[in-house]
Amino acid sequence: MTARDDVLAAIRAADVPAAPAASVPTAIVDRTDLHAAFLRVLTVVGGVGAVLSPGQSVPQLVSELLGAIGAQAVIVPGRFAVAENGAVYVDSDDVTARIAIVLAEHLVVVVPHAAIVPTMHEAVRLMPAESRCGWFLSGPSKTADIEQSLVFGAQGSRTHCVVFDIATGVG
Amino acid sequence: MTGHPAAAARFLDDAARAAWHDQSLWFMRQKRDRGSALPEWESLRFAGSALKAHAMSRLADLLEEFERRATANGVVVHWARDAREHNAIVLGILRTAHVTRVSKSKSMLTEECGLNPFLEAQGIEVVDTDLGERIVQLAGEAPSHIVIPAIHWKREEIGALFHRTMGTPAGETSPDALAAAARVHLRDALLHAGAGITGANALVAETGGVVVCTNEGNADLGMHSAPIHIACVGIEKIIATRDDLGVLLRLLARSGTGQPVTAYTTHVTAPRPGAAMHVVLVDNGRTARLADAAMRTALHCIRCGACLNTCPVYRRSGGYSYGTVIQGPIGAILAPAIDLDAHQALPYASTLCGSCVDVCPVRIDIPAQLLAWRARGAAAGRLPRGYGIVFEVLRRVLGTPATFARATRWARRVQRLVPAAWLSGRWNPWTRPGRALPVLADESFREWARRERNQP
Ligand code: SF4
Repeated sequence: MTARDDVLAAIRAADVPAAPAASVPTAIVDRTDLHAAFLRVLTVVGGVGAVLSPGQSVPQLVSELLGAIGAQAVIVPGRFAVAENGAVYVDSDDVTARIAIVLAEHLVVVVPHAAIVPTMHEAVRLMPAESRCGWFLSGPSKTADIEQSLVFGAQGSRTHCVVFDIATGVG
Repeated sequence: MTGHPAAAARFLDDAARAAWHDQSLWFMRQKRDRGSALPEWESLRFAGSALKAHAMSRLADLLEEFERRATANGVVVHWARDAREHNAIVLGILRTAHVTRVSKSKSMLTEECGLNPFLEAQGIEVVDTDLGERIVQLAGEAPSHIVIPAIHWKREEIGALFHRTMGTPAGETSPDALAAAARVHLRDALLHAGAGITGANALVAETGGVVVCTNEGNADLGMHSAPIHIACVGIEKIIATRDDLGVLLRLLARSGTGQPVTAYTTHVTAPRPGAAMHVVLVDNGRTARLADAAMRTALHCIRCGACLNTCPVYRRSGGYSYGTVIQGPIGAILAPAIDLDAHQALPYASTLCGSCVDVCPVRIDIPAQLLAWRARGAAAGRLPRGYGIVFEVLRRVLGTPATFARATRWARRVQRLVPAAWLSGRWNPWTRPGRALPVLADESFREWARRERNQP
């Protein structure tokens, strides 16, 4: 018998009684202004962000938010945002290379304004079925491994910026 | 004393450090309390428990479903009965590709399997890339906490270690500066590795996805830069659906660090073009655990660390006192299954206060299993040395109300006659400097009640 057969046989022999699938609990959240809620959490997790004003371009807003470093930022499209945890979903189909997500010192994610959900319960259902790789990104890279002092820019991005684009979403 | 009590006593000898450790962990527990303040938190925990119980009840089917999808996506899926097979599989992959240097993000499974020493003995360099893990690796130590591996290290010590190993200026103790040095050091290792090894926080049968959560981004740097990504995963990490993933992700970081979610949550189902991706599914005792109905739910653990942070014993004895890869309350119920002889004292490393089950995001009844392990240990004649006599005395004293009353009266008299310093002396394993025996009340509750009743 192969290891595979042995492991599967041992599992089946364990004869675990049937247990029903879990039902998704209802999240009790304020859905009135998801963008404001998102931006609030984003600040807490060390990111910056804003909603694009009419007539404003993404680079304009980015340089407003990030100053000089805005010019060096890597800009990628995000599919949607999650209000409860400040995360944006980025799919590998939308980036030139997967490594760019973590290699970029300064990352800007541009998300369509309408693409925002309250919690992860809705978010996981929006993950593209054919996705080969995707990320929920919540703020810049961080560590608290040295005496629990929070340091941003551990090994991935130092700056994490989210822009909501009213027009198309992709700058 | 041997085992946990002896190691804990040594840990407590440095009272200032023990207090600092206790405080550091309590700080984590408080962050968890703030982070988990959601109105639906308790129903989320029930859902977490249910989704794990469901996954365990369909474990074989779900693993096959995962394997089918992953294989169709170009992922190579391997199966290992035990640690030895796991290590051999990883070595085989690395040898075939002539890899001599690998990066590895946090994976308790590879710690469990002893992968690092195994690969190093084969001439393959392994760089642990989680900052905390790198600190303990550079120091030749093992992690002392499953989520915060270097929780027992002070910044001055990290500064000295980095000065020695990374050439940071002597006396540098600022976390910003030290983390910046580590960033350069680790990015170099990550980008020049021939393979990136990661663990997984979950495997999703419905999507065929491997889910990895980090705050540092090190797992992503490793898996997307090297030509080979190897994910080493215990079979119990499988969950059925993306809905389950949503529940799990809402629970995990909030319970561990109080964050609403980790900075990076990666869901990867296929290798990038031109690269290879392997998933090694490991049993190593898990199917035996699954067959043990009374202890099965220990497999539900999502390794959030909350039970360690809240445990009054872990906080005051430190991770190393457990002598296990997984420390704290969850470690104390996992280890006896592996070796009851070696870990017979661990089920006693608890006051059974129940704080662990209250914070556990998947509601594992750890105290019940601690108690069950104590019973099994006793039944197997594996009581830690000296415990047998103590239990016999307790059985006699607590066995009948009359003896109990007599014993407390006697104890009170002894306490009045004998100097307190002697009672808390070295001979008494339940006391130590700064922790004297409590003074017994002059009157027992029964005596008080009798007196009250007799009053006019
Ligand atoms: S037993 Fe529960 S609280 Fe402890 S690490 Fe596992 S999931 Fe977290």
